Amino acid sequence: MAAPQSLTRRSFLAASAAGVALARRGLGASEGGSEAAEGEPSPVIDCHAHLAHHGAADWEARDRRLIEAADKLGIDQLCCSILTPKRPATAEGFRECNAWAAEAVERFPGRVLPYCYVNPGCGQEAVDEVRRCIEDRDFMGVKLYNEHVCTDPVVAPIVELAIELRVPILHHAGHGHHPFPGQPNISDGGHLAELGRRYPEARLICAHIGGGGDWEWTIKALRHASANVFLDTSGSVTDEGIVEMAVDTLGVDRILFGCDMSMTAGVGKIRGARLNPDDKRKILGANMQQILQMRG
Amino acid sequence: MIIDVNAYLGHFAFRQLRHNTADALLRWMDEKGIDRAMVSSASAITYRNTQPANEELAHAVQSHRDRLIPLAVINPFYAGWEDDLRACHEQFGARGLRLYPKWHNYALSDSRCHDLIRAATERRMLISIPIRVEDYRQRSWLVDVPDVPLAEIVELVQACPEARFVLVNGAGYTGSLGKKDNGLPANYYIEISRLSAVLANEIGQIAANLGPDRLVFGSGMPFKYPDPPLLKLEVLDLAEEIKKQIRNGNAARLLEWPSR
Repeated sequence: MAAPQSLTRRSFLAASAAGVALARRGLGASEGGSEAAEGEPSPVIDCHAHLAHHGAADWEARDRRLIEAADKLGIDQLCCSILTPKRPATAEGFRECNAWAAEAVERFPGRVLPYCYVNPGCGQEAVDEVRRCIEDRDFMGVKLYNEHVCTDPVVAPIVELAIELRVPILHHAGHGHHPFPGQPNISDGGHLAELGRRYPEARLICAHIGGGGDWEWTIKALRHASANVFLDTSGSVTDEGIVEMAVDTLGVDRILFGCDMSMTAGVGKIRGARLNPDDKRKILGANMQQILQMRG
Repeated sequence: MIIDVNAYLGHFAFRQLRHNTADALLRWMDEKGIDRAMVSSASAITYRNTQPANEELAHAVQSHRDRLIPLAVINPFYAGWEDDLRACHEQFGARGLRLYPKWHNYALSDSRCHDLIRAATERRMLISIPIRVEDYRQRSWLVDVPDVPLAEIVELVQACPEARFVLVNGAGYTGSLGKKDNGLPANYYIEISRLSAVLANEIGQIAANLGPDRLVFGSGMPFKYPDPPLLKLEVLDLAEEIKKQIRNGNAARLLEWPSR
């Protein structure tokens, strides 16, 4: 039944705002002259992705499918973490995940930018792991999940180390009006805003506006957060207006494109948002690129 | 041509919808290349008496019947559903029903529900069932409405073999509904807006296992951006002929339109 793929990454991007960047590289269809006034070309960066845990029998195939999906959808780079299947993660568990993430960088050169995943509750072992991954393995950031609310003092050493190493923290987040099962310590936009106030030098990414419950609540909770708190667009929810409200409320410079493995939802909602091409260019990669360049 | 089997007009109780009038929806459909859409009232999801919402819908689509295909929302446990069904079909031209068993608090297995489906089917009306209205994680503090379990759909399609069902806003059809030789009547169609087209590629799996003639395009407009399902059609590793079936052929057959 399968037929040769009819849509190339190039032709897809020509139909989306991401084509703005690639058109300049000579890969996309020609674009209007107004682009000359727009920002510099930038890669399309998915700021929220995951590689498969090697406990899954088909982990290699799953990782390969992720890269193939990125190829189809015009995503140049994926910022990936590997999470332990059960949480709270043990130090042994997150070290194993991070070692696999480092291997993935070798398997997919230029495509995978790894986050170091730790459970801050592991104390010094978590701090040591972050330092090892960033300094020795050249990871691009830190991924924190739901073991602790981000304003819990136990998280502070990780935040302070991320500031020292000049890397962002992608923090799992959500806000529902009914409890999220199994996630008593989930952080929300309000917590991330508070953490941003406490640590203005940190670069904090509030995860998946499309996968974290009431997205209108989250956007409003982040409205007065400092400029060091970003919001990623990932998640399976594709409600009309979600991207526009985030941009209108927080400003386009604080919005980062992501999929969190909901690939066509992630790309499609950016494609569908009523934003100008330069705003889409910023969301799709330029903003994340600026964060990545913090390390120098 | 693209036929959207999953669209709405009107207001939703828990979130502002934009582009939710007939004119606005049509403009949006034009932007996206969607030719026709099956629409029901979003307001009817939370109305006790849904008929005024069906009347509003009928009025809204009256001068756009070439493109907007009305579906009526009816609760078989509400007094006078038989009268409402007759009015929706005969006066308003509804081509189908949209059922909300969880929002309207009844069981799909109840004989009254089967009576409604049977009566609609006798009128050659489709039965559209949204598996969910919105993502469960964002539900209001006022409600705790679950998704319709697919196991209940399995029982329903077996119990009403003459009916034609369109399952929208669903995912996870890896059980019997998504498999050939599942012992179920071939009386249901699966809409793609929440199905993956890459990674697990649920659309490809259903096309291979159940058959491409059982997949239909839907967007969820104006609740959702139409771009993700349109993008799915672009990136799917399926022959163009199959994509055409999903875009319009299967829905046209459902609507009993002459083949083009």
